[in-house]
Amino acid sequence: MTNDFSIIGKPIAMVDAAGKTTGSGKYADDLSAPGMLVGKILHSPFPHARIKRIDITRAEKLDGVVAVVIGTDAPNPYGILPVGHDEYALALDKVRYVGDNVACVAAIDEATAEKALELIDVEYEVLPAYFDPEDSMKAETNLIHDNKPHNIEKDYHHVFGDPEKGFAEADQIAEARFIANEVTHAAMEPHCTLAAFEIDPQTGKPGRLVVQSSTQVPYYLQHKLSLVLEMPMSQIRVIKPLVGGGFGGKSEVIPLEIIAAIAARKAKAPVKVTYTREEVFWAHRGRPRTIVDLKTGIKKDGRITAVKARVVQDGGAYCSYGVVTILYSGALLGALYDIPNIQYDGYRVLTNKPVCGAMRGHGTVNVRFAFESQLDELAAKIGKDPADVREINLLKPPCITVNGLRVRSYGLPECIEKVVDRSGWKQRKGKLPRGRGLGIACSHYVSGAANSIIRSDMPHSTVNIKIDRDGGVVVYTGASDIGQGSDTMVAQIAAETLGCSLSRVKVVAADTDLTPIDIGSYSSRVTFMNGNATLKAVQDVKKQIASAAARKMSCEPQELTFRNDIVTKKKGHVGADAPVRPAEQSSAASVSGRVEGQILRGSLQQKRKDEGPKDSLSFEEAVVAAIDFHGALSGTGSYAPPLEARGGKHKGAGVGPSPAYSYSAQVAEVSVDEETGEVTVHKVWASHDCGRALNPVSVEGQIIGSVWMGMGQALTEEMVWKDGMLMNPGLLEYRSPSSVESPEVEAIIVESIDPEGPFGAKECSEGSLAATIPAIGNAIYDAVGVRLHESPFTPERVLAALRAKKNAKPINLTEGVDPTAPAKFREHGGSLWYRGKGPERHPLDPSRREAPGAAGGDD
Amino acid sequence: MSLPQFKLLRPRTLADAIGHLDKHASNLRVIAGGTDLIPSMRQKLFEPEFVLDLRHIPELKGIHERQESGVEVGALTSLTDIEHSALLRRRYPVLTEAAATVASPVIRNMGTIGGNICLDTRCLWYNQSLTWRKGCGFCIKKDGDLCHVAPGGTKCWAAFSGDTPPALLCLNADVEIVGPAGSRRIPLREFYTGLGDNYRTIQPNELLTRVFLPESSADYSGVYRKLRIRGSIDYPLAGVAVVMKRSNGHIADARVALTAVNPAPVLVKGASERLAGKVMDEALAEAVGDLAARTAKPLTTSALTPEYRREMIRVFTKRAVLAAAAN
Amino acid sequence: MKKELIGLTVNGRSHELAIEPSKLLLDALRENLGLTGSKRGCDDSSCGACTVQIDGVPMLSCTMLAASCEGQEITTVEGVSEHGSLAAIQKAYGDWGGSQCGYCMPGFMMTVKHLLAQNPNPTEEEIRQGLSSNLCRCTGYSQMYQAIRAAIEAEQKGMAAAK
Repeated sequence: MTNDFSIIGKPIAMVDAAGKTTGSGKYADDLSAPGMLVGKILHSPFPHARIKRIDITRAEKLDGVVAVVIGTDAPNPYGILPVGHDEYALALDKVRYVGDNVACVAAIDEATAEKALELIDVEYEVLPAYFDPEDSMKAETNLIHDNKPHNIEKDYHHVFGDPEKGFAEADQIAEARFIANEVTHAAMEPHCTLAAFEIDPQTGKPGRLVVQSSTQVPYYLQHKLSLVLEMPMSQIRVIKPLVGGGFGGKSEVIPLEIIAAIAARKAKAPVKVTYTREEVFWAHRGRPRTIVDLKTGIKKDGRITAVKARVVQDGGAYCSYGVVTILYSGALLGALYDIPNIQYDGYRVLTNKPVCGAMRGHGTVNVRFAFESQLDELAAKIGKDPADVREINLLKPPCITVNGLRVRSYGLPECIEKVVDRSGWKQRKGKLPRGRGLGIACSHYVSGAANSIIRSDMPHSTVNIKIDRDGGVVVYTGASDIGQGSDTMVAQIAAETLGCSLSRVKVVAADTDLTPIDIGSYSSRVTFMNGNATLKAVQDVKKQIASAAARKMSCEPQELTFRNDIVTKKKGHVGADAPVRPAEQSSAASVSGRVEGQILRGSLQQKRKDEGPKDSLSFEEAVVAAIDFHGALSGTGSYAPPLEARGGKHKGAGVGPSPAYSYSAQVAEVSVDEETGEVTVHKVWASHDCGRALNPVSVEGQIIGSVWMGMGQALTEEMVWKDGMLMNPGLLEYRSPSSVESPEVEAIIVESIDPEGPFGAKECSEGSLAATIPAIGNAIYDAVGVRLHESPFTPERVLAALRAKKNAKPINLTEGVDPTAPAKFREHGGSLWYRGKGPERHPLDPSRREAPGAAGGDD
Repeated sequence: MSLPQFKLLRPRTLADAIGHLDKHASNLRVIAGGTDLIPSMRQKLFEPEFVLDLRHIPELKGIHERQESGVEVGALTSLTDIEHSALLRRRYPVLTEAAATVASPVIRNMGTIGGNICLDTRCLWYNQSLTWRKGCGFCIKKDGDLCHVAPGGTKCWAAFSGDTPPALLCLNADVEIVGPAGSRRIPLREFYTGLGDNYRTIQPNELLTRVFLPESSADYSGVYRKLRIRGSIDYPLAGVAVVMKRSNGHIADARVALTAVNPAPVLVKGASERLAGKVMDEALAEAVGDLAARTAKPLTTSALTPEYRREMIRVFTKRAVLAAAAN
Repeated sequence: MKKELIGLTVNGRSHELAIEPSKLLLDALRENLGLTGSKRGCDDSSCGACTVQIDGVPMLSCTMLAASCEGQEITTVEGVSEHGSLAAIQKAYGDWGGSQCGYCMPGFMMTVKHLLAQNPNPTEEEIRQGLSSNLCRCTGYSQMYQAIRAAIEAEQKGMAAAK
């Protein structure tokens, strides 16, 4: 494959950048419709309760209220996974978390709707609730869902190779419990949905439903709306406007999306529901609090012999993507290193808290934190450089891992080499002043799932292209741009392949009426899958253009080169490969794409006619020739992952396989204040194998963004619970890092040119996140010699570990001070902010050490 | 979350403002920068019938040096103006340093010194939406009778979380309070009750109008140290202000004050006495840190554990005292 | 509550609006004037997506009563582009990846414009502090620094060319 591209690989501004920097771009909440009402949702104040009675009559009577809807208005269950249809748009019989959806008021304005919520009378019968997953697994009665014994959503038990033998062969074994506390996407845009029914001119009654929503997956939304509203999918149009960030939080159907439609149906008027920030936290679908009991064996030479992981995920009250999450946690133990023996026991557990789902690095992040931390520990035990240990355990692709994952392109060796080199690892590791350290870690991620969550033979992506006589190229893609730049990716692939300027390409995306089905923007599938579909569609039309142009130019289609808005005959032309154009053509053609194009094109064509024999055609001439010849110019392409990439045969083997994996290696440099426990990240060197960087500025942005979000999870972000109450449901108390403490991230692009990716490209938006947390943890260890087993590494946790190590005065820094703490408020959920029972800490957590005297520093 | 409905009063003079207060005090909230009141009103913590907007009263703005009697700061002066005041930076550096740490630059553009002094006490069980608070059964500070951080008691422990008041306490600042009955001037430390709920001594029909920084505490070296998780936006989780005057290598006078660990900003008891006349060294700093930790009574009102926050009061005080002595 | 007639000057244009006294400036801009550029991202005055300039000073429009701004000059993101084209800072944010999902952009445009107006050649640390009122969840801020540097260079070149 040639590297001589004109648009691919060049840093370009996103095609929608101007709309964003000028404020003219429209997000869902910026939209309105004539007669639009505001919808507000009533949420449950109880974590677990039966609804005995709902009385909406007082609310309905309030002036300005148009409709009040409750569960019985749309009683069909739904869920993102076919195996997890356990959600209702509005609660039918039970509420299962504080914030669960009970009713919705559609009213003329927000204040009226909020007032009406206060007038809805709900009688609850409060049930015992479960907040800690390990408690919840013991439940016999008052189950969260009746069909889920012990509140276990799903458990998987996988054995690959012979783990027992592997551990027997090991020279060193490390075993520990790691806890990664719960984090959420916190995309800047709160979810918003505007739903409206069109009146059918034939019947005169409400007909088609049009939903504009902040979604990563218009198709799934269309599908679930059809299910819940009992309407044919063809009668539902889902349009995705600009989306203000997703990170997985908009990758499934969120309650408000269906509630808005139900409310619009009952109110007989358009209804817009926009979440408050608090509601965004309740809608959640973030990364579950995860308990990882991990055991790893290693030989003296650095070879990993076996890994055993028991993973418990605190999934919240409904299934969501949970089954997939718990499978990813196990499956992606493989495909990074060559691990011959793996035992995995995964439990996805239900608790009475908001629902966890997919979040950037879905399923892999918390287990990767544990694994990479433990590998660092083992490297120290066998006296080897942790970077070397990683190199010793590299895969040798092409290969199929012990758990059935097919690995082809594999840039991890170069990733490690690059970060080791750029960070000065060999010279500086272990030689920094006390309190400052370096840590290394690696990670990887799928380029989309090889198996769709809805089992069918349909392609994962389909793209259509239309080119008309004006020379404009319109690409119709179902890919959802959520800020990651997929519209730009599609435009680049189209323009590069057709050899036309980017400004000719118009991308129409994510509108179920206009664009073919695409299964959405999640699991980093878009560049690989939609990019491939785009490529095929463009090649389809290109072939048609080429055949017509070849006729005009009296040559074979394969002799033509498309570049710089010119179709050139290769052979017999000066400078065969690179098309050379006369200067005056060049300037005319470059203008022709712009405003004056129409006029200039005419004169250019006239001029061409006078010139006689043709060694080249302008892009527009070639298009006109093709339309004249074929009658119309359109193309289509689709993509489905190859069968051989779809994984093994064991139960749950469907999750994990991907047509290609991205690879990351990172070195973090931190300093630790030993008196306060505060950790400062100075710099992160992050290399990422993205196959090929189609748009380097975007790829770097994705790498930096992932690393930065990982840093948030490592240091500042944590959802804190108390009795099912989320204590920090806002951006003031849920601390997404500000610019002040955000370190420099040096993004290093590694290009392994995947044989199946479009132009060799694969994933770049998620894989880097997982390495950051252990890289920082390992750097803390290098700096001050304490190993953190629980994220985030808040100053109190770091200080507690430091004090325990020094045998300093054992003030108990991580338990509450108040001796009269109420028995009524049971503690749970990983928070260290509150005294009480609390979740079981891993045995190595230094904060477990009991103070000989009274706890607390009240001296 | 919509704001409750209210009538907005927009006086142009202090006299007009006092007139409004006289009439409507029983059901009125005062707004200046709005950074405290607006989010609280959206959470339905306050649903007043009247809101008195002070933004357009020029006489309440500005920093003025008064001959031989220190500096007067109008209550409506923005925290940004305080942060950037060359006069204050030169003469009362602890105040500019504290002001510069408040929330974020944009919040400081809006927030005023008066507002920072009057900042409502904060608690994770209180600063939540109406829906959220229903879920916890409300708390003693608003609509309930239970304290979730110190249950069993009838006292509210919401923490005072302003950054500038500890600096002002160290400076022995006075505040002017104006009401229908006239104006009075009280030391700032008498402005706070020490209770989490009724945290101010000011009457509903009174207005805090000016802050006086006495000449006697000018030119003290000053340091403010703030515990926060992020480098911006956050309220303090613990804060320490120190001012110090030295002569001949000895500490002539010093004061230490804390914020965010008690229902009021407080001067550290015994710190001045401990420091006066001494030469600064590590042991002395540590002793003062211990005093500060004893004064601090953090509870689970905010992020990070009370023990950690108390420990940080100790460490930050030690460091601040050493830094002030090194200035 | 009865609506009041309020005069607002936004991006140099005067408007008369009938609004409730409790109307936030953000809502007045978005709902009454159709200026949807300014965004609501939080409810606790922490995210900065709604930032506008009031008399040239960045403030949170979600924390400001519209009626309180009568007589003041309000500038929103819609007032940043120049003569129908992108301002240097807008162009640079696009070129350098300073914007991904773009939801925080309107707020950043306001604070960055102010930063550069106050300090045409800020240090890295001053840029960090200057951006610290606004949260971005996509970029990790790094590419914004490059964009700001590029915008400064573009402005300087522009000024040099104008001489």
